[in-house]
Amino acid sequence: MKCLVGAVIVLFGMITSGQASEPCGKISIADMNWSSATLIANVDLFILEHGYGCDAELVPGDTMPTTISMMEKGEPDIAPELWSNSAREAIDKAVAEKRLRIAGSSLSDGGEEGFWVPEYMVKKDPSLATISGVIANAKLFEHPEDPSISGFFGCPAGWNCQTSTAHLFDALKLADAGFEMVDPGSSAGLAGSIAKAYERGESWFGYYWSPTAVLGKYKMVKVDFESGVDFDHFTTCTTQEECENPKATMYPPAPVHTITTEAFASKSPAAFEYLSRRSFKNAQMNTLLAWMEENQAEGDVAMEEFLNNYESTWMPWVSSEVAMKVKKALAEL
Amino acid sequence: MAKESWLTQFPEMDRQDLTAIKKGLDGAYREFSRSYGEVIESFFDPLLYFLVWFEKLLLETPWWIVIIAVVGIVHLTARSVKLSIGVVLALCLIGYFGMWDNTMRTLSIITVCTLVSIGLGIPIGIMMARSNRVQAIISPILDIMQTMPAFVYLIPVVMLLGIGKIPGVIAVVIYAIPPVIRLTNLGIRLVDKEVLEAATAYGANKSQRLWGVQLPLAMPTIMAGINQTIMMALAMVVVASMIGVKGLGQPVLKSITNQYFTLGLFNGLAIVALAIIFDRVSQAYAKRTQRHLEGTH
Repeated sequence: MKCLVGAVIVLFGMITSGQASEPCGKISIADMNWSSATLIANVDLFILEHGYGCDAELVPGDTMPTTISMMEKGEPDIAPELWSNSAREAIDKAVAEKRLRIAGSSLSDGGEEGFWVPEYMVKKDPSLATISGVIANAKLFEHPEDPSISGFFGCPAGWNCQTSTAHLFDALKLADAGFEMVDPGSSAGLAGSIAKAYERGESWFGYYWSPTAVLGKYKMVKVDFESGVDFDHFTTCTTQEECENPKATMYPPAPVHTITTEAFASKSPAAFEYLSRRSFKNAQMNTLLAWMEENQAEGDVAMEEFLNNYESTWMPWVSSEVAMKVKKALAEL
Repeated sequence: MAKESWLTQFPEMDRQDLTAIKKGLDGAYREFSRSYGEVIESFFDPLLYFLVWFEKLLLETPWWIVIIAVVGIVHLTARSVKLSIGVVLALCLIGYFGMWDNTMRTLSIITVCTLVSIGLGIPIGIMMARSNRVQAIISPILDIMQTMPAFVYLIPVVMLLGIGKIPGVIAVVIYAIPPVIRLTNLGIRLVDKEVLEAATAYGANKSQRLWGVQLPLAMPTIMAGINQTIMMALAMVVVASMIGVKGLGQPVLKSITNQYFTLGLFNGLAIVALAIIFDRVSQAYAKRTQRHLEGTH
């Protein structure tokens, strides 16, 4: 009996050590709770699993909890789409301390933020594409609760963008033009208000960001503040809670990174190399997200659609040998 | 991997068919909201004007007049000096900690939600008590209203009516109305058959029996239902703020996303204070009316 137990232990040890010696090993990928990140996480999962022999799994995540967990616990291994502005200092520090490594940009254009109006309104009156046009036509943008004033849909309560939106709202003197900031409460509320306006051809003016399914599905025009981007002012004042004299500036593109733990990067250089090349354009991402919403697709279905139909995009990210493996696995799905 | 068969894997619907169903229902809803949205929206306009007017009234009236008015109502209904002092203290603390405006907004929307819930709930409860068939239809609907996660119906409501007060009121009422309906039904059904027979023997007709016998005897149960309704309406304030209802819910949301512990605690406590005021007042009122009933026995 003892002998048998011993044999089992030895056997077990062999199996586990056998797994550990694989080129990539067991890794976890953060599956953030918004569509584009889910899509990228699923693409990474499939390619790392079938192209690089990783034993990968998805774990639920969100910007701050995932960043903190990666820094402190070294888990999960990969954050495929991290809007790094929100935790910039912490990430910079962790990179310097060799706990995290920035693989590359998940979205090569960066995240795009701004104030938007529906395209059909701009078609009717091209002046609405600029802030002076919007202010001159403030009466068009009816407040949802009070017809006597105009409504501007701000950033959801508690989000980082609330600070910058509020400062820009002041800087552009929108209150003087009769606008009141409407707090939509949640991103679902904000998206719902766009959907409602768009379905009925009503007016809408507010904050939104790209790439999102909403902007893929509902064509919107980013309002030009006629100020250009003042990057220094934006980082030192517009995004800070204390900003005495906010000036008008367009939103600079927000960096969106793929971040991995140092342990993963040093253990699997080939997989890390793939992550550093994997990057999407905003326009393409918007189309994919709109497709996802149109077809009510989850991340895994969207991953299939992307790998099947956008070969020219993902093939350059990997070596031809890996591409063959991925294609073979794809055919077997 | 072994071949999948219907024995090892649940025989699922084809993915395409499922997508077709989802797309079809979504499309139908979008179509519905596009063609009837404006009509439905204008149907709710009077309620919206009332809500806006009431909120403005509470916000623009000087704070001490509001406190006097609230305490006046509290004292008239509850006749308890201790309670009145407690209310003044609670409201002063809320104001001192800078939550006056948000508390007034919440107070206004909760008052309206409670009135709508009671106004709709008690008649529905009476109908349920009178007919077993109505009860069989309404009970499962109440189950759905109480258990369906709020966001499932919040977003369709937002697509139909936009964000703001009206969808907020609808969401709160959906969540908060079941107790008052259920307990009105229960209270009336629990009235002794003998008492009703006696009333009939004295020649009381249907409506006399309802107003003179059933409702007064069911009052304690109905009041318990109203109490629960108020509590649930206040608990729903945070969820309602996710679709742009201003008030104490918004700072709570803000504190959740940013881990501002103290901000969340203060505003949460202000919600609790409102709940306690509503609760004590309605309970004291109910007790007073019951004492009066006991006296006539």
